[in-house]
Amino acid sequence: MFDLLQSILDGVMFGATYALIGIGFTLVFGVMHKINMAYAAASVGGAYGGLLVLVAFKGAPAWAVFLGACLAGGILGYVVYLACFHFIPLGSPLATLMSTVGMLLLIDEVIVHSTDGMPQNYPAMFDDVMLQVGELSIRGDLLLIFGASVACMAALLALLYRTRLGLATRAVSQQPVAAQLCGIRVAQVNIATFVITGVLGGLAGALIGASVGALSPLLTVPLTVKGLIVTVIGGLGSIPGAIIAGLLVGGFENLFQQFRGVTERDLYVMLLLFVFLVFRPGGIFASGAGRD
Amino acid sequence: MKTLATAVAAALAAMALGLPSGATAQERTVKIAGFGAKSGVVRSFGVNSEAAMLAAAEDINKAGGIKLGDGAKGKVVVEFLDDRCTAEEGISVIRRIASADWLVAVGPTCSNVAEPLFGILQKKVGDAGDSGLQMPVFTDVAIKGGLAKISEWAFRNVPSEATMYSSLFNHVRTEFPQVKTIYGGVEEDFAHSRASWYAVMKDRANANGLQVLGESKWLLNDTNFATQVREMKKANPDAIAIAAHPFTTCGVLKEMQRQGVKPKLLIGLTSSSSLETLEGCAKQAEGMIIPTSFAPVNAQATAAAKSTAKFKGNADLHSMAAWENMFILKGVMESENVLAKPDSVQADRRKIRDGLAKLKTTDGLLGTTRRTADREAEKPYVFVRAKNGEWTVYHNPL
Repeated sequence: MFDLLQSILDGVMFGATYALIGIGFTLVFGVMHKINMAYAAASVGGAYGGLLVLVAFKGAPAWAVFLGACLAGGILGYVVYLACFHFIPLGSPLATLMSTVGMLLLIDEVIVHSTDGMPQNYPAMFDDVMLQVGELSIRGDLLLIFGASVACMAALLALLYRTRLGLATRAVSQQPVAAQLCGIRVAQVNIATFVITGVLGGLAGALIGASVGALSPLLTVPLTVKGLIVTVIGGLGSIPGAIIAGLLVGGFENLFQQFRGVTERDLYVMLLLFVFLVFRPGGIFASGAGRD
Repeated sequence: MKTLATAVAAALAAMALGLPSGATAQERTVKIAGFGAKSGVVRSFGVNSEAAMLAAAEDINKAGGIKLGDGAKGKVVVEFLDDRCTAEEGISVIRRIASADWLVAVGPTCSNVAEPLFGILQKKVGDAGDSGLQMPVFTDVAIKGGLAKISEWAFRNVPSEATMYSSLFNHVRTEFPQVKTIYGGVEEDFAHSRASWYAVMKDRANANGLQVLGESKWLLNDTNFATQVREMKKANPDAIAIAAHPFTTCGVLKEMQRQGVKPKLLIGLTSSSSLETLEGCAKQAEGMIIPTSFAPVNAQATAAAKSTAKFKGNADLHSMAAWENMFILKGVMESENVLAKPDSVQADRRKIRDGLAKLKTTDGLLGTTRRTADREAEKPYVFVRAKNGEWTVYHNPL
């Protein structure tokens, strides 16, 4: 029983990394009603970008690398917007889907070619901290990720509901034509959304790299899949939903692994997604707002 | 003056017509194709193999090239094709190579490519009823045991993991008497890792008196190893053997550090004795022992590593097999009187195949390699240990 509890706890804590990726997916969907398939790859790309800080300043602290990752993530977010959305007809849902899939593969190959696919050691914060709660242990670095997810959620909600940019973003999300008639520059709001989610993605990538201890291009596709699952289960466009779904998916993953083994684990996660799609297609926090 | 003008005019005319000059008329090109993963997460294998092949070709050409059957000299030309470590791409690549004028192919990187690829080669030489490709393939990297027996056109110069781990566990029994139990960690969805643990390491550990307490499993793309390492911790083994590639090996080693799992002995997979592991987790891999068929332990091996570095490749057990293959092929082409003419391509391929099949031994960078009847190699090997961020030779069992 203890093993099971510990395993679920490990999974829930690691699910915080899925939550961070899910937030990015859901934010872009919330604003543009488009899926950005390149989001997880750009996040990992941003994390790789953070490593340039170590190239420039050997021995730089982990927080500086994370900051570099946020910056690189923001730049990548802008590039993804320009390449996959700005010049692509937004009326065709397939066009942006395919352009972002293309971008995912491109970012993946750029990483592979610049590192020859070699895993890169990633600096971590609090990775040697292990908290004991009775007999259960909790990793310090995963607690940090969990805290970062909650902080990101709070910051994003504050941004959305307490600032003019947030007001504009919500307006564009709900009624883009009306928003444009009110003088809101839709393209600029979209750019801001991509840059903000890019910064968040860079942080997510860096925290994931830190939690694994190494970065590899192997991360991009699984994180994309997990991010999408989390987004659907949490409710497309719902930030708190992405966090709860991330933790839920992480916990269920380890639960399934405990009972059915690692080779069947992902099968059951997909089954969970299927169950949600059939019985609660809007996800845990189905969003009522929509774009016209 | 008139003579000079005539000579210059003749030379220009010859150049314009694309005719070879007198000196180069006798020099032909010997085309050797390399193929393997040059994209995707195992790109480094292809990059290293290509660098080793180019470096070896340069050395061969500098030394006068290959002496062909009619006395002419053959200059070695290498081109390396990307199979992305996928079976479909690998098969497409070998078909492309076979349909052009390449005399022999060196590759592939991945066992999951080698197995189906060998399946499309002609199974028995000279079988008129078998329309499989008649193309000699000399594998440098794909290491899963016993694949060459699929086709008589398939040859491998990869180390025998069964032999190396037999020797390693025998060494453990004699030199680490305090090690009585072992626990495995295996990348369950990767052919090489699975085969290495279930068919080789586990069996060899048992045979040498170690009690196998169990195994934890994970997947190639996994990022969370807490449960698996907890299983290891619970089993409390004296030794842990990790049959996984560098990314997950590093993930597991870092999780072991977090959970305070410190076995008396750490054993790794052959493919992990590379720069990748040290790039990812040198500190956590400290002390890990791995058997390998390459280490820069003599002048020849050091020179090969240096030449390969010039082409931006790392020398390891895989890339140096590609290096060795080039020199083995040179010897075979010379002894079998290969002609390297446009109209002798298929005959030359057959000669190379027959020549490779005749070999009983070959010269390797660590010493003499024995060739087996089923076209595999028994290569000399050493045990290396991760020490201060480098792989250092820990023991030479031969």
